[in-house]
Amino acid sequence: MSALIGIGAGIAVLTGLGAGIGIGIATSRATEAIARQPEAKGDINKTLILGCALAEATAIYGLVIAFLIIFFLK
Amino acid sequence: MQDLASRLTEELQSKTSFTIPVFGGVPVPTSVVVTWAIMAVVLLLTFIFVRNLKMVPGKSQIVVESLVGFINDLFTDILGEHGKRYVPYLGTVLIYLAVSNVIGLFGITPPTKDLDVTAGLALMSIFLIEYSGVHQKGIKGWLKSFTHPMPAMTPFNILELFIRPLSLCMRLFGNIFGGFVVMELIKLVIPAIIPIPFSFYFDIFDGLLQAYVFVFLTSLFMQEKLEA
Repeated sequence: MSALIGIGAGIAVLTGLGAGIGIGIATSRATEAIARQPEAKGDINKTLILGCALAEATAIYGLVIAFLIIFFLK
Repeated sequence: MQDLASRLTEELQSKTSFTIPVFGGVPVPTSVVVTWAIMAVVLLLTFIFVRNLKMVPGKSQIVVESLVGFINDLFTDILGEHGKRYVPYLGTVLIYLAVSNVIGLFGITPPTKDLDVTAGLALMSIFLIEYSGVHQKGIKGWLKSFTHPMPAMTPFNILELFIRPLSLCMRLFGNIFGGFVVMELIKLVIPAIIPIPFSFYFDIFDGLLQAYVFVFLTSLFMQEKLEA
């Protein structure tokens, strides 16, 4: 049973995959944008942080679900 | 390993510091005690630094002025003229969150590791966001804003009323608690030296970033309500 719970928690944490790819793409585009237009750095940074925070939320949900699985199914 | 698992389970539950012996005992959680301690320290610092301000600022006054200027610029940029009245609240939450996320460095349990604290902050945020909409446009305009881009979006706009505070609350809690768990695991494997750089990332960088993100998102949602 505990092995199955472990596998379930591991699957839940796979949500981090999407968040990692998303934040990576966002950051690469932001770097390009800043290189092309350094004067818009402030605005780009703000948008980047917002996008990262929203993309990261999915990973956090996965983490929270994994915790719930481990702590409450035990 | 079993030892760590049981300790983490214990950490997840909000601990009771002491019990007030009235009405058959009112339990006071640790997060409340730490929050009051943070409030006392921040209040004390405000009194110390705001005393005898001068036209030509001294060293400490320059630091305080630049901090206040940074907070004011940050929020007035996003909120614009109409939202100026909400800047002090957002600044206060930013300072409180920054202090409480970093306080883990000193061996004190950060209050934001308690799900109840982040849930309370997220509820305060969503109430203020909706209030700012009502204040700006009146009840009618506020209700109308739910159909904002087009009437078909109404169910999603109503759903957002619940998703926004949930995601604000879970983001803050998940980041702080996740960082805490990873730090505990690192300390379990290598107790000395190696945890220090990780602690810089998880406690200082991530803590300050999450405090910033929380108020940043709150002010963005508020701006949306003020404009739409």
